[in-house]
Amino acid sequence: MIGFSAVAVTAFGIAVTIGAYALSLLARRRYPSPLTTPVLFSTVIIISVLLATGISFSDYQPAKTIMTFLLGPATVALAIPLYKNREAFFRNLVPAGIGLLAGSLGTMITAGFLARLFRFGPELVSSIAIKSTTVPVAVEIARIVHGNPTLTAIFVVITGMIGASFGPWLMDRLGITHPVSRGLALGAISHGQGTAQAATESELAGAVAGVAMGLGAVCTSLAAPWIVPLFV
Amino acid sequence: MQTALEAITADGGTRTTQRGQSGTTGLKGIAVIPIQLLGLWALNAAGVWVVDKTALPIPGNLVGMVVLYGLLALGVVKLSWFEASGSFLIRHLAFFFVPITVGLMNTGALFATRGIGIIVVLAVSAGIGVMLAGWTSQLLFRKPGQTGGES
Repeated sequence: MIGFSAVAVTAFGIAVTIGAYALSLLARRRYPSPLTTPVLFSTVIIISVLLATGISFSDYQPAKTIMTFLLGPATVALAIPLYKNREAFFRNLVPAGIGLLAGSLGTMITAGFLARLFRFGPELVSSIAIKSTTVPVAVEIARIVHGNPTLTAIFVVITGMIGASFGPWLMDRLGITHPVSRGLALGAISHGQGTAQAATESELAGAVAGVAMGLGAVCTSLAAPWIVPLFV
Repeated sequence: MQTALEAITADGGTRTTQRGQSGTTGLKGIAVIPIQLLGLWALNAAGVWVVDKTALPIPGNLVGMVVLYGLLALGVVKLSWFEASGSFLIRHLAFFFVPITVGLMNTGALFATRGIGIIVVLAVSAGIGVMLAGWTSQLLFRKPGQTGGES
């Protein structure tokens, strides 16, 4: 009886998640806005449904495990856009590489420093410092630097929304007009959401953003074990 | 009436042939996807295994990604072997984040006490990162003697 209800709750959790995600894709198509970002929109719906039906996050956990099974393979698949767009990046290797390093390390150091300034606890500092990495990589780095993977995932998604919505505005003000630079900054800081935004600006910017997202993840994961402890 | 009927038949005819043609590739495509997923899964598992054995301080899935890139660059595997399932997974990458961020329902207390600080840290560090990446690279593009950098 208990076994059956656990299975039912898991099936319900999966159905609600897929339903909410499908709804978010429709909502984004009809009303494109930062508020209809699939992750934000679906998460709000799912949490509301779970709260309304009295299902706790630990009840939802098995559903989460099943649904995130393909996250690892999906990260591996990021090599595909990286490979397809390698020319756009390697043609501009030196400026792009240095810019990528400056952005990835700069945002990590700034976040760590500010978090320290706000007197955040060690787990929170570690979780927030690595937020400019694509989610599947960020949650793994969180484990390595003793952060909290769930918190990191949330910070990554918020960073994606902030960067994708305000990044282009900020770069207009700063006179950053070169498409490679714009794509680089968006992909390195706001990973997937930034890449999607860059792709709407130009094909070149989108391609560079995709590469920057992948290489930024490599860069952050190599640097985090050295930099994060400085602020904890 | 007759023309309309002809149009319908013609339309239906083309549709049938189209479906027939794409049916074979579509069916092949559907059959191929689990194999491609298995390949991506194996690369991921291999990456996790390598990290586990060597205690490398980087995520296993990232090792899998670098290995796949290396195999593509060396021509050991073809892009077409992974493209169908790979682009599907990437197109719906956001879906996989959703169950993770549902964990937000357990962090209400944290956001109630630290919310403003968290948003400030995220917004300022994102702004500085965008600025550094954009400015540094653009400055280097504009260096005299550098060709091909102008837009």
